[in-house]
Amino acid sequence: MGEIAFQVGFFLFFIILGYVAGTIAERRHWANLAEREASNGEFLVTQLKSFPAFVTGSTPPQLIVAESAIGSDYFKTFLAKVRGLFGGEVRSYQSLLDRARREATQRAIEQARQLGYNALCNLRLDSADIGGNSKSSKGIAMVTIIASATAYHFHAPAS
Amino acid sequence: MIVTNTETIAGYRIVELRGLVQGNTVRAKHAGRDIAAGLKNLIGGELKGYTELLTESRRQALERMLAQAQQLGANAVVNVRFTTSAVTSGAAELYAYGTAVVAEPSA
Repeated sequence: MGEIAFQVGFFLFFIILGYVAGTIAERRHWANLAEREASNGEFLVTQLKSFPAFVTGSTPPQLIVAESAIGSDYFKTFLAKVRGLFGGEVRSYQSLLDRARREATQRAIEQARQLGYNALCNLRLDSADIGGNSKSSKGIAMVTIIASATAYHFHAPAS
Repeated sequence: MIVTNTETIAGYRIVELRGLVQGNTVRAKHAGRDIAAGLKNLIGGELKGYTELLTESRRQALERMLAQAQQLGANAVVNVRFTTSAVTSGAAELYAYGTAVVAEPSA
């Protein structure tokens, strides 16, 4: 009897820890992303294969790659498992995907900006498989995104 | 060496095709990193170890691809793509491939 109570206690502890810490981490990340997205607002990002409004700059176009790996928390993983029993939309993982994509995109923009470019074209977002799939026994629930794009100089319209 | 993931390079003209070049790598992080990621998985947030793993793998795969391009006498690689596959848990196979070309400034 005592052992069961102990296990349930542990489970509840992890659920609450996951919920509290996960929510804090998520809010912080969202706030951070919103800030960076606002400051990079004028940076032109397209997924066109051509180079819109290209101008010859000091450097030729260049490949930019950025990656991000965002992990789930215990609470979210639990929610997803419950959802797996009943079927339907797994909303708890959508935030992970969204954050990973936005993070990778912002990193690509920041890299390009550091190298003196002001535009990115042909932005591609791919998910990478590392850490095995979730079916493996110690599978870690996470989303990994690789963003690749070509940085170039573009002629900013005078505003 | 000019590297892009577009089929063309703005401001340059592709004068010669040198063919497909590729580079791959399978990398793993030491067990400590995996344990740290497992713990981080309780509370959520970025798994820095795995971000690093991806960055390192990508650099290595790109380097190998560029070495091939250099051997073929190309000065640019266009339409670079990346794919990954899960070999085992904790390891990443990263494959970079592109088309090696000779490009010259169009002006």
